[in-house]
Amino acid sequence: MRSTAFAPVRIIYVGVSPLKVIVAVSLAIAALLLLALGPRADEDLPKDRVVIDYWEKWTGNEELGIRDAVDDFNRTVGAEKHIYVRYVSTSTINLKTLMATAAGVPPDVAGLWDNNLVQFASLDALEPLDDLATQHGIDESTYMPVYWKGCHWNGHLYSLISTPATIAMFYNTKIFHENADRLRAVGLDPDRAPRSIDELDAYAKVLDDIGPDGHISRAGYLPLEPGWYITDTFMWFGGSIWDQKTEKFTLTDPKVVNAFKWVQSYSRRLGKDAMNEFRGGVSGGATNWASPQNPFLTSSVVMIQQGPWMANHILNYNPAMDGLKSANEENLQEPLEQRRKRIQWAAAPFPSAVPGVNDACYAPFDTLVIPKGCKHIKEAFEFIAFINRQDVMEKLCNAHSKNSPLRKVSADFLEHHKNPYIDVFEKLAASPNAQSVPQIPIMPEVGDELNNAAQSIALLQAQPEDALREAQVRLQAKYDDFMQKRRARNQ
Amino acid sequence: MTKLERRNLFKGLAFLSPWLIGFAVFTLLPIILSFYFSLCDYSLLQTPVYRGAENYRTLATDPVFWQSMRVTAKFALLALPSGMILALILALLLNVKIRGQSIYRTIIFLPSLVPAVALAMIWLWLYNPKLGLINLGLRHLGVSSPPGWLSDPVWSLPALVLMSLWGVGNTVIIYLAGLQDVPADLYEAASLDGAGTLAKIWHVTIPSISPVIFFNLIIAIIGTVQQFTLPFIMTPSGQPARATYFYTMYLYDNAFSYLKMGQGSAMAWIQLLIILALTGIAFWTSKRWVYYQGK
Amino acid sequence: MSMAAGEKISPSEDRTKKAWLAHLSLIIICLLMFVPFLWMVSTSFKTLDKTMEYPPRWWPKPFAWRNYVDVFFSEKVNLLLWTRNTLIIEVLSVSGTVISSAIVAYGFAKIQFKGRGVLFVIMLSTMMIPFPVTMVPLFTIFRWLGDHTGTQWLGTFKPLWVPTWFGQAFSIFLLRQFFMTIPDELSEAARIDGCSEMGIFLRVVLPLAKPALVVVALFAFMGTWNDFLGPLIYLQRPEQFTLALGLQNFQSQQGGTDWNYLMTASVLVILPVLTLFFLAQKTFIEGIATTGIKG
Repeated sequence: MRSTAFAPVRIIYVGVSPLKVIVAVSLAIAALLLLALGPRADEDLPKDRVVIDYWEKWTGNEELGIRDAVDDFNRTVGAEKHIYVRYVSTSTINLKTLMATAAGVPPDVAGLWDNNLVQFASLDALEPLDDLATQHGIDESTYMPVYWKGCHWNGHLYSLISTPATIAMFYNTKIFHENADRLRAVGLDPDRAPRSIDELDAYAKVLDDIGPDGHISRAGYLPLEPGWYITDTFMWFGGSIWDQKTEKFTLTDPKVVNAFKWVQSYSRRLGKDAMNEFRGGVSGGATNWASPQNPFLTSSVVMIQQGPWMANHILNYNPAMDGLKSANEENLQEPLEQRRKRIQWAAAPFPSAVPGVNDACYAPFDTLVIPKGCKHIKEAFEFIAFINRQDVMEKLCNAHSKNSPLRKVSADFLEHHKNPYIDVFEKLAASPNAQSVPQIPIMPEVGDELNNAAQSIALLQAQPEDALREAQVRLQAKYDDFMQKRRARNQ
Repeated sequence: MTKLERRNLFKGLAFLSPWLIGFAVFTLLPIILSFYFSLCDYSLLQTPVYRGAENYRTLATDPVFWQSMRVTAKFALLALPSGMILALILALLLNVKIRGQSIYRTIIFLPSLVPAVALAMIWLWLYNPKLGLINLGLRHLGVSSPPGWLSDPVWSLPALVLMSLWGVGNTVIIYLAGLQDVPADLYEAASLDGAGTLAKIWHVTIPSISPVIFFNLIIAIIGTVQQFTLPFIMTPSGQPARATYFYTMYLYDNAFSYLKMGQGSAMAWIQLLIILALTGIAFWTSKRWVYYQGK
Repeated sequence: MSMAAGEKISPSEDRTKKAWLAHLSLIIICLLMFVPFLWMVSTSFKTLDKTMEYPPRWWPKPFAWRNYVDVFFSEKVNLLLWTRNTLIIEVLSVSGTVISSAIVAYGFAKIQFKGRGVLFVIMLSTMMIPFPVTMVPLFTIFRWLGDHTGTQWLGTFKPLWVPTWFGQAFSIFLLRQFFMTIPDELSEAARIDGCSEMGIFLRVVLPLAKPALVVVALFAFMGTWNDFLGPLIYLQRPEQFTLALGLQNFQSQQGGTDWNYLMTASVLVILPVLTLFFLAQKTFIEGIATTGIKG
């Protein structure tokens, strides 16, 4: 390359505009002011109390409810027993808890997702709560059976619940009545919800509004909308994906295959492309869900499968559907009958494919666990027990618009709940046909594999039997590998 | 070693000393540990147990592992060349002395500042096949059935490539800084020889900034192979049906969702070897086309 | 029209045509790039129920000026606190990165010593290990440091800025490339004049690399501004949250996110960095005028 020798070098400065100087200086001053006088990250911890760390997953609007509960505790029981709860919330709670536990400094209470419960328990990372629960008078008679069972694994209690849910069906009563004649013409009752999968399909067909070119303007029902619980469909088909006794996956069980076949039947009937276009695609749900464009709120879908929080959503994003001009007009003290007459929707159990059964449901829940290695186990449980006190629990569940995991519910809770149909969700929680998340140590992988299978099945990329068989082989191998490593470790 | 060599070694190490210390503690140690983890069964919640090359063997027969490699390779082949070329063209355009230069530069730099959370929402909305602006625009232009973008197994990856091109501002800035250092008298000499604009670019500009091009190439290779944030926020779990399941996403899932840190670490080391191989090739060819003016 | 030093602007046909071509292409490209950001600003002024209306509307109706007031003074969003926290970390980490990376880059670029090439390759390869993998051992190292240095590291800002004072691979690489474009003759001349190595570094090389230093500072600033993984795992109290982490928590699981407020907060978060960039541009315009001297 040519050699260049630069001796005298002149640097010419471009004339700097005064505007830029002013902006730069003001930014600098603002920054300095903020640094010097801004709000500090200091903490004023009460000196005479044991401080316990509580890490939760809720952010945004849901955080307000749990913050209230934490503040209540710190003011009352916490003051009495010299405990202070330091609360941190972040959406990736799992990651944070994992890192901290790996380094030996776990939080005292963590709010894990239910599908991580058995995973953590099987890796010996959670404190068993049996004795603590008994000491606080919490036992089998406190909780609904499905939740009590869900919190146990391998004979021990590993968590209690912060808020639970049951999944049911919301349907648009206004559209039902508008189509009363057409429904009656095929022998269906417009004044109630479908009570079986076949009835659901029949209602859906009548309520569909499809143009001659296949373009969908309205769908009676669409499994993918919102499709949050598609991989749990087998729970409404009387099937099971896991046999605990033989420790084998049963994805190829005919009942499970039927569940996925049913999901696929909608893609076949409506046409995959028409369906995608109607939904705004798989990702449409992510943006549409939390908006007035939610298909249920725009009456584009007449029936949906959702949890009790949907009532909150309807109120906030489409108060007209509740017969109100704005969310502020909501009056929880209004008599229940009146509220139900005013709104244009209702909730009912999601129908099942098992003849004679109409109270099947999936019952997810949010956990409160004590990681092993935390410093203040007794104090941590004091807080957990507080959350599970009936009045505290009801206040929290109402804030989140969810049902309560406790067997005892006050009349006030049922009659002045944010969800006027909360009794439907409560009854489902008490049902013997309610199921919580399958208790498999590798549940996160199971969930991902099932989701992948469900997507390819719904997109008509694969047949249910094949997709499920493939997933089963993979999952079985992973489970066996996991158990083998566990045994090797415990020797 | 001669006296000069010894003195230079001492001087060199002295200048490198901050890095050497920090490197040992904050980088080397974790990396060595991560290699050890790749040879273990480690769930983060229990202590690691040595198991030899088992993780690597499991990965070799894992179809999801290979799927994630395919997805990443496809993305890299699309995003790398288009990103580098677009960035260079933009930098050259932004270097032309015209009014409003600062405004143009700021607009192009803007996308890299948008927080990931907002980015996800904006682009999910833009890509919405029914309601989004992109398909709205396509329909206006006469395209009767525009693609389903993020929900279409065929179009989801190109959708992500487009998004990555939107964020090309970072690379442009580095090119711009490099373009300032091109000696003006070289341009004058070329003009005197009768060279037009394109000829000047090819014979003066590009060779002069070749070290910068080289830098951006290495960074881009590392960036595309390690691509994680974009698909993580746009198409979680690699939907639809793992069509956008990037390598680093599977790594992350293995390590933190499935609690198989051993496998995750093994994947990281395989990734390291691949990147090393690619940059090795880049380095080897660099002797041919990279000119350091200082020499 | 601002004049970049050194290039005479001759009123020839070629120049004007080139300028108009540049304007045209830049306007088209910038418009395309600006659309998502425009959408973001538009949504930041909407009321919640109008955020996703169809057909999409650019000019919000009603125009919710209040959003900005609401967000700035909101309880859920503590912008001032988060900004202050982020600023503290910024000041410490940007200065650390620039100073230490420049020193190390000089060692790699200007001092010939044995083993330089090997160390450089090792340094480069540290960029190729994805952070999630080294995150776990690093976390444990910080815990160990907390136990053995008499002061807590976890739950403070220290893990976020202390490592930057020991050099940062990306910045070192970038500066090394730039230093290598500075002719050796300059350092030789200074050496003959009796200057020490550090003197050459401070008085000859550093001033000439100003554009590169500004780029490094800018990137370091942006990296910290947008970093959310680090703060997520190292901070333990909401009062310590940085902007990126705070924004991340805006989203809700089943409660519905306030998209319009999220956009408002994001616009507010972008503005400082954007302004910073706009101001820092003048250092790009600064050039080096040379009187061509044959050597």
